[in-house]
Amino acid sequence: MKKKINVDFIVSLIFRIISYMTFLVVVLIIFIVIADGVRYFKPSFFIEYPKKAMTQGGIGPAILGSLIMISLILLFSIPLGLLTGVFLSEYGSKSFIGKIIDISVTSLSGVPSIVYGLFGLALFSITLGFGTSILSGSLTLTIMTLPVIASSVREALAALPRELRESAYALGAKKTETIFKILIPAGKNRIITAILIGAGRVIGETAPVLLTGAVFYSTKLPKSLLDPVMTLPTHIYFITMSYGADAQWMAKATSSFLLILVLVIYLIAFQLRKEEKNV
Amino acid sequence: MFNLTAIREQTILNIRDFDGWYGQKQILKNINMDIYKNKISAIIGPSGCGKTTLLRSINRINDEISDYKTSGEIIFEGKNIYDKDVDLTLLRKKIGMVFQKPVPFPMSIYDNVAFGLKIHGIKDKRKRDEIVKLALKRAALWDEVKDELDKPARELSGGQQQRLCIARALAVDPEILLLDEPTSALDPIATQKIENLIEHLSEEYTIIIVTHNLAQATRISDYMYFMYQGELIEWGPTRIMVRSPKKQLTEDYLNGKIS
Repeated sequence: MKKKINVDFIVSLIFRIISYMTFLVVVLIIFIVIADGVRYFKPSFFIEYPKKAMTQGGIGPAILGSLIMISLILLFSIPLGLLTGVFLSEYGSKSFIGKIIDISVTSLSGVPSIVYGLFGLALFSITLGFGTSILSGSLTLTIMTLPVIASSVREALAALPRELRESAYALGAKKTETIFKILIPAGKNRIITAILIGAGRVIGETAPVLLTGAVFYSTKLPKSLLDPVMTLPTHIYFITMSYGADAQWMAKATSSFLLILVLVIYLIAFQLRKEEKNV
Repeated sequence: MFNLTAIREQTILNIRDFDGWYGQKQILKNINMDIYKNKISAIIGPSGCGKTTLLRSINRINDEISDYKTSGEIIFEGKNIYDKDVDLTLLRKKIGMVFQKPVPFPMSIYDNVAFGLKIHGIKDKRKRDEIVKLALKRAALWDEVKDELDKPARELSGGQQQRLCIARALAVDPEILLLDEPTSALDPIATQKIENLIEHLSEEYTIIIVTHNLAQATRISDYMYFMYQGELIEWGPTRIMVRSPKKQLTEDYLNGKIS
């Protein structure tokens, strides 16, 4: 009897220590990165162009570039991901083609981002002739985000009680009516959460944007989707790789801002998930 | 098996030589039975006896389960509902169903009840309002919700949600109402309310209820159908069957020897 309790205690202690370590890493990243960067925050930092070889000014165009990029990615990937997820959950799972799509979606999410970058470079920038542009960059990142959204939508729909579908069918509803009027609204919070988490991940993607859509410095704002932009993660990369010690403050401040942005997105996502659990 | 009072009553549904399989496994074995109009029919039996599968075959909701196959006939309005040209939307309008777990749709109380009306093309708002009100009244829920029809249905209590599901099914004006263990997720007070409601509803609808609660079946049903291991062992008027069952198996079940 006594021995058993001791084993329990030791095992739970191990679990506890390990999970505290994970937590500690998260706290350290957040604290060091954010604390190190926020001290450079001032209104002009968010609006101005970088000046004097990145030693002064701000990251206005990079913020704008990232926002344009993420808006386009969501614009492309939400409808595609939603429809793919619905197909997988409601139509395809048992058919041969459904299985193939299922496997593709799963393997797409395992492809390294640099490979997406090369693929986007070859397909969008070169073959389709979009060059290094917002369009190439956001299409490349759309392909990356698509499997994340599709599989989350599928899971959101699969988690709904069977009776919900059947209640709709039992009233005479057709499959499409059931999907669009009942299932998607019922899974709405989970779907939005998934999209936000996808957005939080993709907004920090560097490698694919580097190859397809980003420019390290631009003196004017993009005029069309075929112009390149500055983005937050590539801006950090360029500064740390190619500029001297005087410019490093800007990399820190930008990292800090990017992390805050991602955290805010995640907080909204978690809040929605909590609401979902409450109902 | 048939007695005289039964013969005089009008049947609404005739199940003939009906078999059901999940893949290779036979769940329903040669079921033959009649359902009487405006009566409460209770299908009873131990879990796994096939009673829910039989109920789910009557509105073909079990078609949604991919490896479910049937043979034989279920005749409703002079036609086998398994015929190829049967319009499922229309069949399910006429044969409504309420499930074990109350599942309100993710919308307001009003929209829940109006959902079926929209499907069946009732576009006139005033007419819809009228039917929603009537359905909620019939489901004995109107007085509790009339001032908050716009409230999300999920905020109702479990018992209220189940009555809402009944109202939702009644709104499309079915002739038969299938109830799959409608009170098993509810507390005794809510159960009592639903039982009263069911008795009331049989004046206008034919009710078929699946329940593993023998006391409930005895209390509310006019006819009882006892199933065991996929077979229909015995059926007849409830008071006669409870008092003098003809088969030993039925007697054992009624006495609690098998469950």
